[in-house]
Amino acid sequence: MTPALELTGIKKSFDGVIALDGAVFAAKSGEVHALLGENGAGKSSLMNIAAGFYVPDTGTVAIHGEAVALSGPADARARGIGMVHQHFKLVKPFTVAENILLANPRRHFRSGIRDIRDGVREQAAQLGFDIDPDRRVEDLTVAEQQQVEIIKVLLGGAKILILDEPTAVLTDVEAERLLETVRRLAQSGVAVVLVTHKLHEVKRYADAVTIMRGGRTVATADPRVASAAELTELTVGQTAPLPDRTERPLGTTLLNVGALHCARSDGQVMVADTSFFVRAGEIYGLAGVSGNGQAELAEALIGARQPLSGEIWLEGPGDIGAAPAAIRREAGLAAIPADRYAFALAGSLSIADNFAVATIESGCYGPPWLIDRAAIRRDASEAITAYDVQGVRSVGQKAALLSGGNAQKLVIAREFSRQPTVVVAHSPSRGLDVRACAAVHERLLAARDRGAAVVLISEDLDEILALSDRIGVMTRGRIVAEFNRPADRQEIGRAMVDHA
Amino acid sequence: MHDVAMISLESQPAPPPKRPPRRGLGRFTLDIRQTISPWKQAGILGGSLAIGLAISVVILDLAGIAPLDLAKELAGVFNANSLRSVLVRAAPLILVGLGAGLAFRIGFWNLGLEGQMVFGGIFATAVSIYNIGPESTRIVVMGIAASAGGILWVLLAYWMKVRFRVNEIISTLLMNYIASYFLLHLLYGAWQDSKTAFPQSSQYRPFERLSDIGSGVNSALLVALAVAAVAAWAVHLSRAGFYMRFISANANMAKVVGVPVRTISLVVIAASGAAAGLAGFVNVTSQEGRLTQSFFDGYVFSGILIAFLSRNDPIVVVIVGFLLAVLFVTGQTLQVFYQIPFTMVQLVEAIIVIAVASSEFLIRHRVRWTR
Repeated sequence: MTPALELTGIKKSFDGVIALDGAVFAAKSGEVHALLGENGAGKSSLMNIAAGFYVPDTGTVAIHGEAVALSGPADARARGIGMVHQHFKLVKPFTVAENILLANPRRHFRSGIRDIRDGVREQAAQLGFDIDPDRRVEDLTVAEQQQVEIIKVLLGGAKILILDEPTAVLTDVEAERLLETVRRLAQSGVAVVLVTHKLHEVKRYADAVTIMRGGRTVATADPRVASAAELTELTVGQTAPLPDRTERPLGTTLLNVGALHCARSDGQVMVADTSFFVRAGEIYGLAGVSGNGQAELAEALIGARQPLSGEIWLEGPGDIGAAPAAIRREAGLAAIPADRYAFALAGSLSIADNFAVATIESGCYGPPWLIDRAAIRRDASEAITAYDVQGVRSVGQKAALLSGGNAQKLVIAREFSRQPTVVVAHSPSRGLDVRACAAVHERLLAARDRGAAVVLISEDLDEILALSDRIGVMTRGRIVAEFNRPADRQEIGRAMVDHA
Repeated sequence: MHDVAMISLESQPAPPPKRPPRRGLGRFTLDIRQTISPWKQAGILGGSLAIGLAISVVILDLAGIAPLDLAKELAGVFNANSLRSVLVRAAPLILVGLGAGLAFRIGFWNLGLEGQMVFGGIFATAVSIYNIGPESTRIVVMGIAASAGGILWVLLAYWMKVRFRVNEIISTLLMNYIASYFLLHLLYGAWQDSKTAFPQSSQYRPFERLSDIGSGVNSALLVALAVAAVAAWAVHLSRAGFYMRFISANANMAKVVGVPVRTISLVVIAASGAAAGLAGFVNVTSQEGRLTQSFFDGYVFSGILIAFLSRNDPIVVVIVGFLLAVLFVTGQTLQVFYQIPFTMVQLVEAIIVIAVASSEFLIRHRVRWTR
């Protein structure tokens, strides 16, 4: 059977950086074909070529056996290729039907909208989605927006559906429902490409898997036959071992949070009466279902949000709840926020500047009247090597050009270059691949072993269980239960749900 | 890598799906540049500028000014007399350009340059009227007072922004009108020239004026160049300049990593107001010799224009300010001798702005031709 989509010998470089180096991919109609690989392996770049967003430097794209030169996304769409991106391409103030009309133009607006509306209802019913075509996109949840994207692509007549990391933004239940739907779509004859770095999704839902590493295709396998260990090894190259935990005597309290209250920007109180303390040489894990005040708590701790009331006490400066972030920095607080480009990096500035900005106040890069650029470049280059930040051609390049995992490594390089005494990390491994994730965990444990107090806020219970010495469960802005290591997963789970 | 958007354009409209693609014509591909050498950037900018100037020459030719005559007029700017007026005009232009550029660097849209100039002029004149300080240092005191006037007027807008979240684009712009009516209130009232009864202040005494420092160069230019040098140092070499880049790139992030956002913003915005106040000061003390009704007219647009063309770089501001002064002085000559309307001068200005703005596209993107 001829593959529905076949890419051969694809090479692509971006301004000299090679992203794809002879990648191969073929997906048949009626199958869910997973494309597995680490961050920066080239999965998204390859699929962007298939969907007409990028033009390959060399190589061919064939659709149903016919070689084509795609002139753009519209051309790809006309040939039956539809892609749902990780970041949705929707106009937020428009309704669902208007957004779909935008991607699938009709001659007349009024009759077009009517037509689309019927189409949306029909398609949604078939897929088991509950989407009202007249609602505004900004009122929809992330999962619903993703459903709109899928309907948009299918109404455009897609027979080849590419989903780029579709479950990254979904909860477990939503992800499961989506993948079930995707399976049914494939059974109806659509070729589905599932770009992912989650192994369990591949094992459960894919009919075939292609594995990429470093811009090349390393293998194509049957996920029902290949073992998880085999697939992991193909993805990662060599597996990173889990760092050893050494038991350490606990030190004095370095961070104490007392009766803290914080509000979201719309006034809703998200952190209500939260109290906990963290001692030197300890990782305090904060578990909880996302949206229970973790984001606001993390922002208050790192100085991005002013608390309504309560105390954030830090060894040294004392209560710093209302103090500017500079004071925390001087006291040795390191911040690893969940949203890197909101609170940790200035994407339009260089890697070197992003590295130096947190420490420059100490005078290590020259007096206030003259900054020492050579020293900044030298230290940044050293840190980039030491922390294994990849994809850097020069430290003068913009930070926004780093892939997610490498951007995170840059943040960690900066934050840990000063031997912090208190570390606040919020979802530090979100969106990272296996190896980058292991590197982050290793750094957090190393900080703990050095005698730092670490607060780890994460929605990933496995991460919390693997790293924490003590675990607090956060529900509705409060710490409702605390557990010592080794903690029972079931009990934590119950605490997370019971108080909701 | 995933966030790099990319578009490919066909040199012909996209072919309908069923037909094979037209390979023969090839196509343009656009990608976003990750880095660009300063030389290439300068080359692109220079090329765009040349295109803009060429278009301007053609338009002026159509308006009855032959290119040769135009060249003669432009060359004429560099005779001693015209050069003097160019340099006199350049000083306030450089200062408002610096005022705009500094504020824009941290994302504070100071459109109140004229209001700040007015208060600069008023404060300087007050020093003259109330005889503050000895005669020998009077001019220095006037300059300091003018800076204070500009700072006062801009910080009022900043305070409203911090305290009441009033958008500074609106507040600074509207405060221009308040300042200019307050000026009229003084000129038609307490400060009216008793000798002539015109709505202007009485003439400053000689020691209250910025003097020529030989070979036709007015000391106003020295003031402007000194401020430009300080601004260039602050922006390019100092730690504050390093922080300013973070404040404009991502203020939230800057706050979290410990950049003193409030302090830096306050100082930079004050400096912006001070530069505008000094622009008012050099205008009244070098050109007018007294406080008039209109010494600040049109400087908001010029300031924004200079800041934009120079990408908020103080060194480039000096060059652009000088070129704009040449354009203004030539425009005046052309108006007189060729009877072209002033709008022609504005048209040329606008064409050059558009040309430079378009060059941004080529600086950010690389266009390739593939077959």
